[in-house]
Amino acid sequence: MKQFRLHKVASVCLIAAMALIGCSSQGGEKAAPGTQPGASEGSGQQVTLSMHSWRVEDTEGYKAIIQAFEAENPNIKIDFKPFKATEYNTILNTALQSDSGPDILQLRPYAPGISLAEAGYLEPLDNIAGISAFPKDVLAAATGKDGKVYGVPLSLNSTQFFYNKKIFEQNGLKEPKSWDELIATAKTLKEKGIVPISFGAKEGWLLSLSHGVIAPASYSGSGYIDKLLKGESNLQSPEFLQSISRMQELIPYFPENYVGLELNDMRTLFATEKAAMFINGSFELEGLKKLNPDLQLDFFPMPTNDQKAVITTWVDGSYAVNAKSKHKPEALKFMEFMATKKFGELFANQFKRISAVPGVSTDDPLVNKMAELSQSSSTPYLMVVHFAEGKPTTKQALENALQGMYLGKLTPEQVAEEIQKSAATWFPPFKK
Amino acid sequence: MIHLFPLPALIIYTLFVLYPIVSAFLYSLYDWDGIKRGVFVGLKNFVTLFTVEPFHEMFWNAFGHNVYYFVIEMIVQNGIAFGLAFLIYRKIRGAAFLKMAYFMPRLLSVIVIGFLWKLILNPNYGALNTLLTEIGLQQWAKPWLGDPDTALLAIILINCWFGIGFAMLIFLAGLQAIPEELIEAARLDGATGFRLLWKIILPLCMPAITIMTIFTFIQAFEAFELVYAMQGSMGEPFRSTDTLAVYFYRLAFSSAGGAGDVAVGLGSALAVVLFFIVASVSAVSLYLMRKREVQH
Repeated sequence: MKQFRLHKVASVCLIAAMALIGCSSQGGEKAAPGTQPGASEGSGQQVTLSMHSWRVEDTEGYKAIIQAFEAENPNIKIDFKPFKATEYNTILNTALQSDSGPDILQLRPYAPGISLAEAGYLEPLDNIAGISAFPKDVLAAATGKDGKVYGVPLSLNSTQFFYNKKIFEQNGLKEPKSWDELIATAKTLKEKGIVPISFGAKEGWLLSLSHGVIAPASYSGSGYIDKLLKGESNLQSPEFLQSISRMQELIPYFPENYVGLELNDMRTLFATEKAAMFINGSFELEGLKKLNPDLQLDFFPMPTNDQKAVITTWVDGSYAVNAKSKHKPEALKFMEFMATKKFGELFANQFKRISAVPGVSTDDPLVNKMAELSQSSSTPYLMVVHFAEGKPTTKQALENALQGMYLGKLTPEQVAEEIQKSAATWFPPFKK
Repeated sequence: MIHLFPLPALIIYTLFVLYPIVSAFLYSLYDWDGIKRGVFVGLKNFVTLFTVEPFHEMFWNAFGHNVYYFVIEMIVQNGIAFGLAFLIYRKIRGAAFLKMAYFMPRLLSVIVIGFLWKLILNPNYGALNTLLTEIGLQQWAKPWLGDPDTALLAIILINCWFGIGFAMLIFLAGLQAIPEELIEAARLDGATGFRLLWKIILPLCMPAITIMTIFTFIQAFEAFELVYAMQGSMGEPFRSTDTLAVYFYRLAFSSAGGAGDVAVGLGSALAVVLFFIVASVSAVSLYLMRKREVQH
């Protein structure tokens, strides 16, 4: 019995001690900085910058780009360290909190990334060379509420209707120039026994992505976004409601059992030429070509109600400098490099993606077409650019509600109501 | 000196079990701005969790799914497992082989199981729907994991298939612990078949049943891996597969792809609630069921 009591006392003490540690470690824990010791200060000395990213799959490509930079700046070495995309935020946040963050970090676009700047973790980049060449709506992805720029935009994503040129030609079809033509095209394909649009409703993020492609047709050119951002219109307006009804109108042209299909299934249907169209992002290009190198791939921008065509774009990420970095001047030098056309071209050719640096072209005609359209006739991906906040985010609310619509549980009116309700809880213009 | 013996284990236990529990409890009492701890707010996070839309809706939705999970597991997994254990106990032919065969799924990782069943249940080229179409039951072929009416049930049944071997072993151990002479005595008194099972074997098996019930309860209320592996962190489709643990993950660590909507305070509050549900129900049912156990 006595023994037992002693154990009890010991464990209670231990618990109390641990609890105390738990409380205090929140405060000022000083962890080792992410850079190598002894490699600081003084010109001419070797400096190693650590650089974090969420693109593990790009490691090889970055090697080539970093080499080009190191060749120009022999006394700066860059240690590129990618993490799994789904864990990147947690890892980065913890590192920044304990002052052990990297010198250079890849910044999530819009609200999530900007929140890091607002917490004081990032260095303003307004004064670095080349930053002013970026269009304002591209810089917006990393601009804080104080108006300062905190990141050099890396790449643009665009979403669009991909289509199979061979199937279109065989059936005498052309790129649709209006919504009615799009429906007519889909109808013809369905009559010929081809799946018109490879689509699935199992993964929510693909629903908001597809909505991002289809929706601008309903409001583009009407000044709707301006009104929305001023709080003069809302997400239940006739324009927006039409965009949701159109998502419903497309149901007959989706594959069988589409509510159970995932991205993999959709991609396979399209790449194996069983489906003629596929709504997805520029980031699918590489994967589609790998699945079927003979695929005659093309895309069309979304035809709008005012007889134009737009492509939905957003910034996919930026690079920023840690405000507590020990090697700020060197890190800023790399930021300047990232704003050059040389970097843009290296990036675009290496990854077959649209560089955020204006005027960059690649050896891939489809990427070039996307890049040109994103400069001449782009429209923002509304849910990512303006509605990725709230708990859960309004974007997630839309995804869930659209899923409900496809399962026959909600009408388009109810979908609009749901997301308006979600946005009203945080979107500043709606709170006035 | 002997008092130091449990120390290493105690330190590990404190560090990896007690410390997280205590810190989650502390976190739940603070306001959080993303990952930055704000001011002390008392029970505000708990109030939000239970009164503010959409949090309370999501809570009760997920809670209902956990209860459903428990009920189905009890009936299907434990029911079948007891039947199988009884058959093996009666020494049917090939008992040793069957014991191994039923336990096989348990050897696979949950992630592998989720992936395999996703392939089997794929609506357009999955084995199940292909089979149904081949034997002329096309109208039964469904997008199993995409239809909110079947998605959760499908996942639970897969979990039953996964867990049956383990439950069977527990029951079998319980059955084999019953002294042979007790059953013989019952037989001499004229108890046969169902009566023997109901009046003699089941009560004597109660310790195993108690353990399995509590085990199943804890497992059902912490259901996460399989749901996450098969349906992701959003409880798709249309929140029909959401469970408390998945909801917790979504609140505290955000969805995949890195939208910055982490709510550490709310997530911790939910974790604390979950902890109390599991701890209190387990304790109460342990107490109640122990009373029904008979000694031999």
